[in-house]
Amino acid sequence: MKETYGNVLPGMNLSDLAGKLVVIEGTDGVGRSTQINLLKEWLEQQGHAVIETGLSRSGLVGKSIKRAKEGHTLGRITLTLFYATDFADRLDQEILPALRAGFVVLTDRYIYSLIARAMVRDLDPAWIRNVYSFALKPDAIFYLRIGVDNLIPRVVFSRGFDYWESGMDLSPSEDMYESFRNYQTKLLQQFDRLAEEYNFNVVDASTDIRTVFEQLRSGILRTLQGEPRPAAVQTTPGPVMIASAADGPAQSSGSSPFASPERPDEGLKV
Amino acid sequence: MKRYGEHRIPGRLFVVEGIDGSGKTTQLMLLNQWLKAEGYGVVLSEWNSSLLVKDTTRRGKKKKLLTPSTFSLIHATDFADRTEHNVIPLLKAGAVVLCDRYIYTAFARDVARGMDPKWTRELYAFAVRPTVAFYFRVPLDVAMKRLMSARNGFKFYEAGMDLGLSEDPDESFRVFQNRIIEEYEKMVPEFGMTVIDATLPIPEQQAQMREIALAKLERAKQLRVAP
Repeated sequence: MKETYGNVLPGMNLSDLAGKLVVIEGTDGVGRSTQINLLKEWLEQQGHAVIETGLSRSGLVGKSIKRAKEGHTLGRITLTLFYATDFADRLDQEILPALRAGFVVLTDRYIYSLIARAMVRDLDPAWIRNVYSFALKPDAIFYLRIGVDNLIPRVVFSRGFDYWESGMDLSPSEDMYESFRNYQTKLLQQFDRLAEEYNFNVVDASTDIRTVFEQLRSGILRTLQGEPRPAAVQTTPGPVMIASAADGPAQSSGSSPFASPERPDEGLKV
Repeated sequence: MKRYGEHRIPGRLFVVEGIDGSGKTTQLMLLNQWLKAEGYGVVLSEWNSSLLVKDTTRRGKKKKLLTPSTFSLIHATDFADRTEHNVIPLLKAGAVVLCDRYIYTAFARDVARGMDPKWTRELYAFAVRPTVAFYFRVPLDVAMKRLMSARNGFKFYEAGMDLGLSEDPDESFRVFQNRIIEEYEKMVPEFGMTVIDATLPIPEQQAQMREIALAKLERAKQLRVAP
């Protein structure tokens, strides 16, 4: 049975969540959404229904967060709680219903990014952990890890520096490059701490897209096999299901997810 | 991040709490008038008024999108915005800040909606502790009579209709507000709230408020902006 990090919300029934919650974490520009697109396609080929979710995509507050961030006027506690509202809305309206229906929920970031950002902004560690104590513990957390030196060229040559990803709210006088470097370095330090605290599966994201994908894929297969799935998946003889896919070599023919040339990260704005 | 009770700032923060129809807003307005006449720099801050957040809250309420957790968090976001951009800077500048509803409203409502009391209290740990928190204690029937004569019908969330307590808005309001009263009564000793008997005549309540506020303003004469 699934658990939360301590606090169960009213009406939150944890006993019938048959699906799997898979988290892809990592800093800005590390390639999360590229990997999620590949994973979704692959999982669907394996016969799993998948939904994707990510920060500030809630129907309730997603747009408001984006609008508020454009004005650069949010205080750090306010921004943190705005994200927490977005998270709670997606948990109630998307994640829990999908898990109940037996979906694999792929989430682009989870509470850990939000905790890391709050920590870099000097918010109280106990306070921020309490805020997110109603979050569901994922079935697997993959952390795409990259050093700041590898990260910078990816960001510079794809989409440039972003105000918030550069932590400009913390040091508005610095130039964007210095600020980005300092901010991301601090974030990566926080992520490394969280990796231990929350037991992340760490994946080296400085290698090519395919290598990262293969690591994620084998990790997810282990997660899907970790507990017996409902009968359909286990007993149906016909199409290739997770069990045989796990034993065979990495699938390289047919509908390869690498049919299209590698592309820079996109859609990473939060 | 400074926690509740850790802020050391020269201003004064007076807040009023109580169920709808307790008369707290009326009393706060009167206190405001008096403080201004006495020459203090006074600023009012209302619950649910952050420009940044209130559109979201309004839309969420109108479309009934809010669950207990998002109801709680969106109000905390609103409160955080006002605290960071309004209340703390004003108190640092030495103002007298008056809040119509404060964190205790959130504690009462969120817990009445089934949220964990400890979680909710920690959520607001960044709030400034008020100089005085006035609680306007009133029997539910009295409050309902006042509300009925002032407007027709209760609003969806105000009546706790999201909780499915009753199909009938009046009955739902009664059950929900009774839960809120229970929560307020627990908070009176927990947070040292100052109880005002809200069944007394309006001028009598106001005289009590002024006396209590004055005692807290004695060493704050420098806060006056005009003679």
